[in-house]
Formats: sequence, structure tokens, C-alpha cells
Amino acid sequence: MAPPEDSSQPRLAAGCRWGGTEQDRVILFPEGAIKLQGTGRQVLEHCDGQRSFGQIIAELQAQFADADPTKIRADISQFLEQLRHKRIVDY
Amino acid sequence: MIPNPLALIAEITHRCPLHCVYCSNPLEMAAVSSELSTTQWIDVFQQAGKLGVLHAHFTGGEPLARPDLTELIAGARVAGLYTNLITSGIGLTETRLNALVDAGLDHIQLSFQDSREDSANWIAGAKAHAHKIELSRLIRLYKVAFTVNLVIHRQNIDHLDEMISFIEQLAPERMEIAHTQYYGWALKNRAALLPSRVQLDKAVEAVAAADQRLAGRIRVDFVVPDYYARFPKACMGGWGRRLMLVNPAGKVLPCHAAEVIPGLTFENVRDRTLDDIWQHSPSFQRFRGEDWMPEPCRSCDQRAQDFGGCRCQAMLLTGNADATDPACSLAPAHNIVEAALIEANSTATVSQPTAASSFVQLQYRAENLWSYRTNPE
Repeated sequence: MAPPEDSSQPRLAAGCRWGGTEQDRVILFPEGAIKLQGTGRQVLEHCDGQRSFGQIIAELQAQFADADPTKIRADISQFLEQLRHKRIVDY
Repeated sequence: MIPNPLALIAEITHRCPLHCVYCSNPLEMAAVSSELSTTQWIDVFQQAGKLGVLHAHFTGGEPLARPDLTELIAGARVAGLYTNLITSGIGLTETRLNALVDAGLDHIQLSFQDSREDSANWIAGAKAHAHKIELSRLIRLYKVAFTVNLVIHRQNIDHLDEMISFIEQLAPERMEIAHTQYYGWALKNRAALLPSRVQLDKAVEAVAAADQRLAGRIRVDFVVPDYYARFPKACMGGWGRRLMLVNPAGKVLPCHAAEVIPGLTFENVRDRTLDDIWQHSPSFQRFRGEDWMPEPCRSCDQRAQDFGGCRCQAMLLTGNADATDPACSLAPAHNIVEAALIEANSTATVSQPTAASSFVQLQYRAENLWSYRTNPE
């Protein structure tokens, strides 16, 4: 399994969708739910199947201009790869 | 303040076309005449949504035996719940599948008994295997998530590799390889179902290899047999902590086997609200938290992880629902589980289990499949 390529369009995998309340947003999947806060939530809100991975990275790098852009890329890449393993994200 | 429940197990009927030898359903079933009506179920889903429940797991019996299943799924979706249909597939036609998906069905979990047709049909006590394969193809044509569930045991575990390849061809998003849990029929048939240590170790390797190979395509979940674990399973994520089960007659239980525990009475959604039952039912309170715990649980570091294990298993094996789950290596009654393991490892013989033979037909439900669980170590 590989990390997302810049041209790929990350999205929630089949059977996964947003739920919960505005304060407590969760991603629902067949056997459970994960609660997402802070940047994890922001990353996944960008994964709409429209934006490319490259675009998502660029947008979040711009938004978090204080953080190291290489680190942002590496962290998001790893985060999405882990969620793909769990079949919560596809790209 | 008690945190709200996260999942509702909607056991909408006990009718089932299969008679699986490993069925863990209660041996005493709710009669068809006592089943809740469509309106009553929809009201239950509304209440659950308001309580903060996220998932409705439709099970039984075979949920498709209810002709109003589509309306029930739609009702649960309207109430804001994630809808999961746990099924044998018997009774599912394309027309019906289409209607269910239109009604907002999020996920289908289809159970298989084996990769080999003869064995699968024999285990299920019905000629269901070919239909399930056909159905898997059909499911992939619709916009609904798909999990294949396979229950493994002494009878089929030796060809797990073959079964995993078989499931791979059905192209689900997820496969769940679950060891039999010893309740109901499965407990009666335990000697014929409990694998040996050698069989188990081989299965663990097969699953790990599949997880690597299928990463990114198919998620592989594995439920290990608690008999071989050091610590017990966190049954239902803890008694009265995460889940509520409503049975076909409207009785509200902390888990599907809870009726084996003497002295508990269960409230009914016909008389009380879900919220009221969750907060105040003496049965939900009975093993909630740590006050009920005996030693060695009470002072154990694991107690916040496994909550003392399964109350129903403690009852079934020791006759005392307050005992530490005998699956725990620290339990005073662990010798009961050890004796079963010695028997399972003393002979390579695979004896024949008795098919679940009931006129109210049975279908597999292992109580720890309903999410928010962690495997025992």
C-alpha cells in the first residue's frame, strides 16, 4: 500500500459518512465511529473527492503557515494512509 | 451522569431460515405474535437518535423475515442513525435490495459459513451458499458498503487461507473473520467447535498475511477466541456502557444473552422510554461501573479495559454472574476454561456438532460483533 499521490482525490470510503453534532463530529463506519477534532477533522473535511491530494496539502500548508510544510505533508500523508488501511478513506 | 449509549442493536425478529451449529442466539425465542409493530420500532429509532445513539444494527434472527424491513431502515435513517443490516441474505431479492438502498441502508454484513459449498450448507443447515455468492455479486452493483463475515471454528479453520481467497473474490470493503463465541448452541457444541492451539496459531498467521496483502483494498478484522486469551474480552464494551439491545418483543437488554442471568428483569419499550431504561433500569445498573466487581477484578489494572469480561459467560460457566469471567487467566474459575482447552488439544479428532434444530429458526449472532470492541489480549 502506498501513500496518496498528488493527483489522487481522497474521499470517505464506501459505508463511511459524517455524523454526530457540530461540536462532536464523528465519522461513522460499519462497526463504529471515530471522533475527529482539530486538524484531523480539517484534513478529512478537505477529503471531498473533488480536491486533489496536492490541492489539499497546499490549502492546509497555506492555512498553517507557521508549521513546517514538509512536516504537514508527511503527517497528512501518513494519516490518510492509516485511514485507508482501515477502509475509512479511499484515494 | 451516565454517558449516552452509542449503538442500538435492533433484534427485529427471531425468525431465521438457517440453523447454524455455532448460533449464539438465545435458546428461547420471542414468538412472532409478540413482535413490535412497524410504528413501535420507528418510535424506538426516534428515541435512540435523540439519546445520541449513532448506529442501528439490524439483526435477528434474519431481519429480512420482517416484510417491513425497508420501512424500518428508512425510519432509522430519518432518526439520524447509521443503518447496518446483518443478514444471511435469505429472502433478499434484487427488488428488495434496491428498495433497501433507496431507503438509505448504509451497510450490509453478509455471513458465510465456509468457502466449500457442501460444508457451508451443512454448517448452516440450509442450501444457502450458492445464493449468497449470487447475492454478493448483486450487492456490488449497488451503492452500499459490504462486509463479508465468516465464523471460524474447529470444523473449517484448517482451510482458512482458502476461505480468505474466496472472500477476496466477493470484493467486499471489509472481511470479518470471527471465532465462534460460546453461547447458545455454540456452547452446547463447544467440543466440536473449539480449535486447538496449533490450529489457532496457524489462523493468526493466515489473517496477518491477508491483512498485509489486502491492505487498502479489504479491511481484515479478526475476532480471536477468548478461551485462548490472557484477559477476557470487553464484552459489549462494558455492561450498560455503550450498547442497548431491543429484542423482537420490545424488551431492552444490555446484551443479547443477558436473559441467562437469573434475577434480572428487563423493561419494555412499550412501557418505558429508552432514556428512562438506560438511566434507571436496575438491570442496566447491575454490572455498570466497578462496584459489583469481585476480586481479582476489583484491584486489577485491566478492569477499565475489560470490565471483568462477560457476565453471561461467567453465569453460563460458573453459575454465578458476579464471578470474574473464567476466560481470564486470573479468574478463580479459570480451570473450567482450561479443562475445555486440554480437551481441545488432546485429540486431533473433529467431532460432529449437532445442528441447531428449532422450529424457530436460528441465525448466528456473536455478541461482540457490535462495534466498539477491543480484542482480548
